[in-house]
Amino acid sequence: MNMSFSEKSAWGLLIGLVIMSWWYFPRAFAIVDASDGPAALGAISVFCVIGLVIFEAVYHAVIAARGGEETDERDQLFNLKAERNAGFVLGIALFTLVGRILATSAVPELGAMTALVIAVWILFAITVSEISKVLWQIWYYRISS
Amino acid sequence: MVATAVRNNIRTLRFEHGEMTQQVLAEQVGVTRQTIVAIEKEKYSPSLEVAFRIAAVFGEPLDAVFSYEPDAR
Repeated sequence: MNMSFSEKSAWGLLIGLVIMSWWYFPRAFAIVDASDGPAALGAISVFCVIGLVIFEAVYHAVIAARGGEETDERDQLFNLKAERNAGFVLGIALFTLVGRILATSAVPELGAMTALVIAVWILFAITVSEISKVLWQIWYYRISS
Repeated sequence: MVATAVRNNIRTLRFEHGEMTQQVLAEQVGVTRQTIVAIEKEKYSPSLEVAFRIAAVFGEPLDAVFSYEPDAR
């Protein structure tokens, strides 16, 4: 495949985010379910963020060394369109979360969500939105190449 | 992707300009080679500014390089 720097960057971000999500969220939800508290959650969060930053830095250094970093109007257009679409995903996810929180008062059997659980769900929504963004970017690149 | 309604003669013009490569054209226009490929295959409509820059590289007026054919989509 003949890819520009921005498309390669999107692929790298997708791989990094998927690996991070696959590793982080099962552990994060297990921690908040077990009420282990913010310290344990903070530890895996820091580990995860550092891992993602290192992965992305190395990946982008490699692709930049192999083919330059130039971007143009097409990259900007696809980025903007992908961000717009990802905004819808984030909005839907957050409205669903707000609905779930409010539903607790109407259906007490659902159980109240703690602040930590809500925080993990918000992070999950943001991550899903970011993954959708890079998927949209890749989609726009692939259908126009 | 659905082909755009903007047609172009870039391939022909590159041939007429000493078989100019897509990379050389991209550098002169100030875009990536992938964008030139997408424009040439009529899968991406360039901005007006890029369209003018492409025409300027070939020394042609804009309508000698690009045409609008909405029915041909």
